Formats: sequence, C-alpha cells, structure tokens
Amino acid sequence: MTGSSDGSLLVAAAITVAAPLIGSAATAFGFRRGSPRRFAVAVACVSLLASLAITMLWSRTDGAPFVFGNRLGGGRLVCIDGITAVLLPYVALVEMSILLVAPRRALEQSSVPRILFGAAATFALFLTSHPLLLIVLWCATVLPTWVSVRSTPGGTAAARVFAIAMSAALVCMAVGTVLLIIDPPWAAAAGWVGSAGGWLVAIAVMVRKGIFPFHSWYPALFSGATMSTALAATMPQVASYTAVRLLIGHVDHPEGVAAELVVLSQLALVTATYGAALAIVQRDLRSLIGTLAMSQSAMVLAGLAGTLPMELNGAFCVWISSGLALTGIGLVSWALESRAGPIRLDTPQGRFWDAPALAAFFLLFGLSGIGLPGTLSFVADDLIVSGSLDEQLHAGLLVILATVLSGIAMMRGWFHVFGGPVDSEGTRHGILPRERLALTILLAVLFLLGLWPDPLVRALDRATGRLLGVSVAAPDHGMHDLQDLLQGR
Amino acid sequence: MMTNHDIVSLLVTCQLAAPAATVALVGVPALLGRPPSERATALIVGGGFAAGFIAGVLTLAVLATRGFVPEIVHLGSWFSVGHHEASIELVADALSVPYVCFSTGLCGLVNAFARKYLHREPGFTRFFLLLAVFGTGMNLMVLAGSIDVLFAGWELLGISSTLLIGFFLERGNAVRAAMRAFATYRVCDVGLLTAAVLVHRAVGSGDFNRLFGENWPNGTCLVPAATATMVSLLLVFAAMGKSAQVPFSGWLPQAMEGPTPSSAIFYGALSIHAGAYVLLRCEALLEQAPLARLLLIAIGLGTALHANVVGRVQTDLKSMLAYASMTQSGLIFAEIGFGWRIIPLVHVISHAILRSLQILRSPSALHDRHELEAALGGHPGADRWALGRWLPERLQARFYRIALDRGFDQMVVGRLFVVPFLWLLECAADLERRWLALLGGSAGPGRRRS
Repeated sequence: MTGSSDGSLLVAAAITVAAPLIGSAATAFGFRRGSPRRFAVAVACVSLLASLAITMLWSRTDGAPFVFGNRLGGGRLVCIDGITAVLLPYVALVEMSILLVAPRRALEQSSVPRILFGAAATFALFLTSHPLLLIVLWCATVLPTWVSVRSTPGGTAAARVFAIAMSAALVCMAVGTVLLIIDPPWAAAAGWVGSAGGWLVAIAVMVRKGIFPFHSWYPALFSGATMSTALAATMPQVASYTAVRLLIGHVDHPEGVAAELVVLSQLALVTATYGAALAIVQRDLRSLIGTLAMSQSAMVLAGLAGTLPMELNGAFCVWISSGLALTGIGLVSWALESRAGPIRLDTPQGRFWDAPALAAFFLLFGLSGIGLPGTLSFVADDLIVSGSLDEQLHAGLLVILATVLSGIAMMRGWFHVFGGPVDSEGTRHGILPRERLALTILLAVLFLLGLWPDPLVRALDRATGRLLGVSVAAPDHGMHDLQDLLQGR
Repeated sequence: MMTNHDIVSLLVTCQLAAPAATVALVGVPALLGRPPSERATALIVGGGFAAGFIAGVLTLAVLATRGFVPEIVHLGSWFSVGHHEASIELVADALSVPYVCFSTGLCGLVNAFARKYLHREPGFTRFFLLLAVFGTGMNLMVLAGSIDVLFAGWELLGISSTLLIGFFLERGNAVRAAMRAFATYRVCDVGLLTAAVLVHRAVGSGDFNRLFGENWPNGTCLVPAATATMVSLLLVFAAMGKSAQVPFSGWLPQAMEGPTPSSAIFYGALSIHAGAYVLLRCEALLEQAPLARLLLIAIGLGTALHANVVGRVQTDLKSMLAYASMTQSGLIFAEIGFGWRIIPLVHVISHAILRSLQILRSPSALHDRHELEAALGGHPGADRWALGRWLPERLQARFYRIALDRGFDQMVVGRLFVVPFLWLLECAADLERRWLALLGGSAGPGRRRS
C-alpha cells in the first residue's frame, strides 16, 4: 500500500466518524433547530460518501489491512481491512435511510443528536480492532439507545430489559477483554485466565446479539422503542464485528477459543431457527420484525463461527442482505404506523388499499429478506446453506429450516398487514418523496448486489480467506498475537 | 460469421430476457409511482411473451435442422467462492425448447384473455406484473442447465403463484389460501434446496451436464447410484408440493380463489406441472433410483385416486377442475415413475391446453348452464359415475363420505403436524411474554409509537 493511499484512507475514516460527531454536537447546541432532518441527512450523506471512498481505496490495494496506532492486546487504533471496507458503507446506508424516512415527530431536537452520536460511535467501532477502544465504543453505542428507549412513552419496561442485558454484556466484555490482554490464549504459555477471558467475551457477544437464552431484549426493543432506535441499535450488528475481531481466527487452535466458537455457533443456530419459528405466531408487526431480526442476526453469527470461507462469506452476505431488507421493512412499517397507528397481526388488517406503494415496498423488502432470486439474499442463502451443510449436516438443516420458517413468517406478516376487508371510509395514504427515495435506494442496492454479486463476494472471499487462512496456515499458534492472526502478518 | 451455437445462444438468451425485461418495464415505473396505462401494460407484457415465443420457435427450427443435438449456453459465472461456483447455464434441447414455446405461447394467450377480463380491475398492473414474473420464472426453470438456475426459476414460480392466489387481498379466503399455498411450497422447497447442495457436493458444481448426459431423453447418469437416489428422493419431495400431490394437495382447490386467468395458467397448465418438468429433466437420475420411481408411482396413483373420488362431490366448477388437474398430475407422476419419457411430456402439454381452456371458459360455462336450466325449466340432471353403479350401496356411501371430507388427508396433516406445531409456538410465545413482563417489572415492554 502506498503512503498516499494510506493517508487518504485515514482521512476518509476520520471524515466518516467526524461528520456525524460534529453534526451531533451542532444539533445539540441548537443548530438547525427548526429543520434538523436536512442537516442530519447531509451529515449522513457525507459519512456514506467517505465510507464509499474507503471501499474504493481499499479495493485498489493488495488486500493487506491498513493499520494505524499503537498495538495493544493484538489490536490497533485504526484497522481497515476487507470487512471494514464492505461493512462501513452498509452501516452508513442504514443510518441515512433511517434519517430520511423517520416521521417528523421522531426527529425532535433531542433525538437527532442522539442518532448522530450513535452513528459516529458505530462508525468508529467498525474502524478499530483495539480491544479497549472496542469496550468504550460498545458503551458509546449502548448509551444513546438506552436514553432513547427510556424517554419513549411506554418504553420504561423495554428500557429496563435493555439495561439489564446490556449491563451484563458490558461487564462480561470488559472483564473478558482485560483477561484476554493479560493472558492471550494464543500465547505459548496460555493459562486458564485467557481461556476464561475468551468465554466471557463470547458470553458478551451472545448477550449483545440476542442469542438464546439471552434473546429477550431483542423483540422487546422493537416493541418498546422508536423504530429508528431499534434499527440503529441492531442492524449494524456491532457484536458480530467484535466477534470477528476478538474471537474468529482461532478456530483451529487446540487451546484457544475454539470451544467458545463451537458453543456460539450451536446456540446461534438454535436461535436462528427458534426466532424464525416464533415469528410465525407474533401478534403485532413490531414483534414480528423483532423476532425476525433476532433470527437473522443469529444466522450471521452461526455463519461467522464456521470454519469454511464459504460459510463466513455467506454470513457477511446475510449480514448485509438481511440488514438492508429488515431496515426497509422496519421503515415501511414505521411509515404505516405514523399514518394509522399500531399494526396488529391477529387478523388481516386490510391496509393494502390505504397505502399500495408502501405495500409494494414491504413485499419487495420481505421477499429480499427470504431469498428472492435476483436479490442479495438469494446469494447469501445459497452460500450459507452450502457452507453449513459442507461443515455439519445438522447445521445445514437448521439453516434451511430457519430460512423456510422466516419465509412463512414474513409472508404471513405481509398478508396480515395488507390483506383483509377494506375500510371504505378510511383515509388513503400516499408515500412521501423522501420515503420513496430512501426505500428505492435500499431496494436498488439489494437488487444490484443480487444480480451482480461477484465483486462483493470476491471482496469478502479475500477478507475471509485472510481471516481463516492465516490460522490454518499457522502451525505454531503460540508465535502469533491476535493481530498477526487476523491480519495475515 | 455466426455459428449455429451463437445463433442458439442468442435466441435462448432472448427467450429468457424478453419476459424479464417486461418485469422491469412495468415494475420500475409502477414502483416509482408512474404505472403504465392498462393498454401499455398488456402490450409490454404480451410483447415480451410474443418475443419469447418467436425466439423459441426459431430455436426449435435451428435445433430441428441439426437433429435436436443439445446446445449448452453458458452466460457466465454468477458468483464463485472457492470450489462453489454458481454459473448461469442454460440448455436448449428436445425437452426445454418445445416446452418454452408451449409455456410462452400459453402465457401470451392468457395475457390477451386477461386484458379484457380484468379491464378496470384495481389490480390490473399487479396482475400483469406477476404474470411477467411467472413467465420469467417458468422460462428460467425450463431452460435451466444447472440446478442453481432451476432453483431460481422455481422460487419465482412459487412467489408469483402465492401473490396471484391472494390477488383479491380484501377477501379473507384468498389471503388464507395464499398463505397455505406458500407454506406448502416453502416446506417442499427444502427438497430442491438440499438437492442443490448435494449436487454441488457430489460433482463440484450445479451443472446438469456433470450429473447426467446432455442427450434428453436418453441421458446417462454420471453419479453413483446412492447420490442419484438421494437427489431423486429430494426432487420428488420438492415436486410433490408444487404439483399438489397427496399429502401436499390441500392448497390446490383453495388456490382457485385467484383470478380466473391466473388459475388457468397456474393450476390448469404450467405451475401444476412444474414438478413433473423437473422430474423429466432429471430422468437419468431417476433411472438409477428405483426407490424414487416406486415412490413416484405410489404417490401419483394415490393422488389420482384421491382427487378423482373427491372431485366428484365438489359443488363448484373451479374446485372440480382443480381436482381434475390433480388427478391428471398424479397420473403424470406415475407415468414418470414407470420410466416413460415422451408419454408424460405429451400428457403434460395436452392436459395443460385442455385444462386451461376449461378454466378460462368456466365463468361463461356457468352462465350457459343457468340459461340451459332456465330454458328447460329445471335441473337437467347429473350423470352418474359409471363405475360407481357397480359398487355396493354401502361402499358408495362410504366413498361419498370420504369425498365430502376431501379424503381426510388434510385433516390428518393438520392434526398431526400443523396444530401441534402452532400450539408449541404459541406456548413458547406466551412464555416469552411472561418472561419479558418479569424482566421489565410490569406488563412487559409497552407499545410505544413514534
């Protein structure tokens, strides 16, 4: 990598994080008090463009990670590799869509700084592999979510559930990471301390990702918080990123964290299937989205904990495809709710003729989330099913079962929201241009990556190959620190 | 100078691209809030089918001059990871090209019929868009030269079928019927998905020419018998759902809730035979899998008998036609199981043409029947089942009872699998709610709104 491209990467990374951070501070001090949306969207656009610049710059390199800052516990202050390059624009797109579609009432003066601060913390987290910084940024991403849920009318119970889960996750993460730094399990003379650290980090990841039996906060957040809060807290999947940075790469280590990964993988498979099954009997739309998000998030972790590049590749594709699709569904349902109130699923609600454009978007996002040919989820399902079946028969079958059940739940959701007798007296609702713009962009990305997945899949292949190939090729694991293992040096 | 292969490649691409382009031409403006007019919509979609049909006929002519030697059309690699490659491979042979001509021709005819039939229907654009998606899926499935492409087409068929069953969204029955059909498809898709993965593991790619020889109907199986048996059994399972074989048949009579033109093309003609087509395409595998063939015969004959008996007591025309379709579909399954190739293909095409005509005619046939009854001044009387007269009265009554309850098979499936499964899920959901209420320190996370 040349010096100039190193500098450009660093500048782009700084802009990605700084833009929402400055935006957050500015709106907190009253800048654009009357119309914060335009300003917030502009800030999100700057972050999106900067993150796309990172992707482009990284794609011109030889694939070696760009690192900056002191090494501690195997991590660096700034770490940009293939995974960062792919995931950063995804997170930026999700944040921008949320700001574009959010109903006017949701973008009050106090909520915009929170959303932008949360976005800045998430971007920063995706740009680092430094264990201590990861802990700080975990806190920084959790805090605005908790404040937002707590300040939401009727959200006290959800805030309490969220607080219990996140406190446990943060404690496990902090203690586990410190133990990992003190006694790295990949070091030659590793003892029980490092092993305990690995287990604690794994538990933290499980809690933060809503893996069974720590899953309850996931649907609770969707039911009790505003949709922007729920989506911004769950769609980036910071715990998956942490798992990639701290756990994956040691899969074949006899004394490392392999056992944690095995347990994570099995529980994630159970959660993916359980969540998809549970989604079939949900009685309201928010719970449906919550349980489906829980299932898809677990599916990502199940793939990440695999040992085959194809499985990891599939997991990253599921990460992006399900994230974009669920963001789209969440935003459509938010738009519907803002017009006509909460949506039950006990009986068909007959909303089709009220909002046909939103129905079309809901359907397309729903189908994009369950493997519609031509969308990224079709590719993602193909990769993750093939990878899982290649590794373990039962894993593959559980992934297939989860896919089948989530499909049934999604279509039930669509038919129950939009099907049913029409209220001829009811108001007809159109779709706002900004809503159409955001939803069309999300959909276009899903279809574009589905019809032409090769560049994405190749980029991920390079990144996952580096992630796994290194550990496979390292006969003497004790000679490497975490960063060497992860970054192929 | 273009070679024969180049010409066939171009024509086959046209067969696929023509209906696919219409999806974009109608769908994108509709999504952006500017749907084309009724006339433009019907013309665009009809034009796509016409172009696909003409390309199909030309391909047939080119192939006929060369004695129907199969042509593999490789459109490139979709994506690849390590040893796993999903290639876009199509095949033009004695099975796929005539079938494409037949299916695009039929779609075109239904398109012309529906233009008048659905005039001023609020979902006019939606219907034609879904018809175009169906046409694309059908051509993709029929022309597929690899199991990945076949699966993509298969999925498009299932989704368009579900959405057309639930076309009249305001009707509760239509919504329920659509959900039931989708659930059945989805469960049976497990078979095709798992078969696809097995094929990749067995031969390193999903291409059919690595599974069996290209020369349909005399292809030779290139994989061991155990693999062939496993893949065949999975394909049979997948085909059972789409072709409404017992015990996955309950959705078909309910699927008639959709508009008549879509019922005709889906459940009288093309979708109902998608399973049979897949089995015919993989006939070389079935040749090596006697167990799967035996199963096919048993399922096919069982379905035919069941549908024949139940169809006799139906009181509405579309249900009666649905059971008639199911009977023929069962017989076609049995024919494939017997190892025949041309007979089931001819059976599929002739049955599809007859049945779609009957379904398209059904609304006006009812009208004619009412006029006939008015002219006669009463009911003209019903023909009795000739074979039924030879049965003892008691047995006739028993058959009648069984037929009235649609053979009890759906009741058995429901009570043994669906109801306990849903009950378990409800219990789990209830436990989750209680647990959340306990954690949240109140009645659980409340309903907050934006």
